[in-house]
Amino acid sequence: MKFLTTNFVKCTSKACDSTTDNFPLQFNDCELIQEEQEFKPEFLLNILDRLDWSAVLKVAHDLGNDSLPQALPENVDPEDPDTLALLKDLHSLLLETNITQGEMKCRACEHVYYIKNSIPNFLLPPHLA
Amino acid sequence: MLPTPDVAADYEKVYEPAEDSFLLLDCLEQEKDYINTHYSSSPLVVEIGTGSGIVTTFMHQSIVPNGLFITTDVNPHACLASKATSLKNGGTPYLDSIRSDLTTALRDNIVDILIFNPPYVPAEEVPGIPKSEDAYEWLDLALLGGSDGMVVTDRLLESLGTILSPNGVAYILFCARNKPQQVVENMEQKGWQCEHIMTRKAGWEVLSVYRFKLL
Repeated sequence: MKFLTTNFVKCTSKACDSTTDNFPLQFNDCELIQEEQEFKPEFLLNILDRLDWSAVLKVAHDLGNDSLPQALPENVDPEDPDTLALLKDLHSLLLETNITQGEMKCRACEHVYYIKNSIPNFLLPPHLA
Repeated sequence: MLPTPDVAADYEKVYEPAEDSFLLLDCLEQEKDYINTHYSSSPLVVEIGTGSGIVTTFMHQSIVPNGLFITTDVNPHACLASKATSLKNGGTPYLDSIRSDLTTALRDNIVDILIFNPPYVPAEEVPGIPKSEDAYEWLDLALLGGSDGMVVTDRLLESLGTILSPNGVAYILFCARNKPQQVVENMEQKGWQCEHIMTRKAGWEVLSVYRFKLL
């Protein structure tokens, strides 16, 4: 499961939809690998608009990375060397970092979902579905 | 004609691409211009019940090469197969597969293009999830859709408004026994714009694909 996906997934329990604690999930005991991808600055720029940045920061923190800026720069100019460096960092984090094993806990209901073979499993046991 | 992806899947556990899959590919090929004019170059494309992954791979190979792709399936073998099929055809910058019921694990209103080839065959009931990962019942899950073959599709249609982004569309496949005309009338009454894309006779089944978009 790529890091970027952590920005798209939430707890599947309907009861948690009424809270704001069902996203992002809290990541624990994760094993990570880096899988190389071609760096395409324009592709990264397309993704930036979609990101919930505070969720990126929270999940990065769960995984032991506190080096990201607190906010994204307002005008992202890929010609600017600092911005290019940031895009490269984000490329490595969002697209190259894979969570192969680990746990994802909902901050609302505390249900724990597992990641195995890089596939997160969001099926709820029958009594919760 | 655009190339058909090579598939990497074990057909004892994952649905083998068939007439319905190929109809979807042809529909998406026909929709290429529509998709490229209505969406940014990196739309979020989500395929529910991906099976072998052939449809999503076709999307990144031939329709939206810079898209973001998520496949979902309850079958863990399908989740792995969809990633393997994508890689076998050269891969794409972002594709992930999540094991879930429909899109229940995704945040609301983020999906730009939703694609669903549902279990549409009328049956007494929708099968439960097999207890063993090795069970051959996984294939039944890909086929059997309960009453009118619509039990799973109806659940999706009910929540479509919370799944799609404000400009999002869904491509859904039906067989004639699903009574798609009736589905379309119901959806239009609820404010959806429903466009018929293609119909094809496949053996004794008549399959069709519709596009749904909020007005």
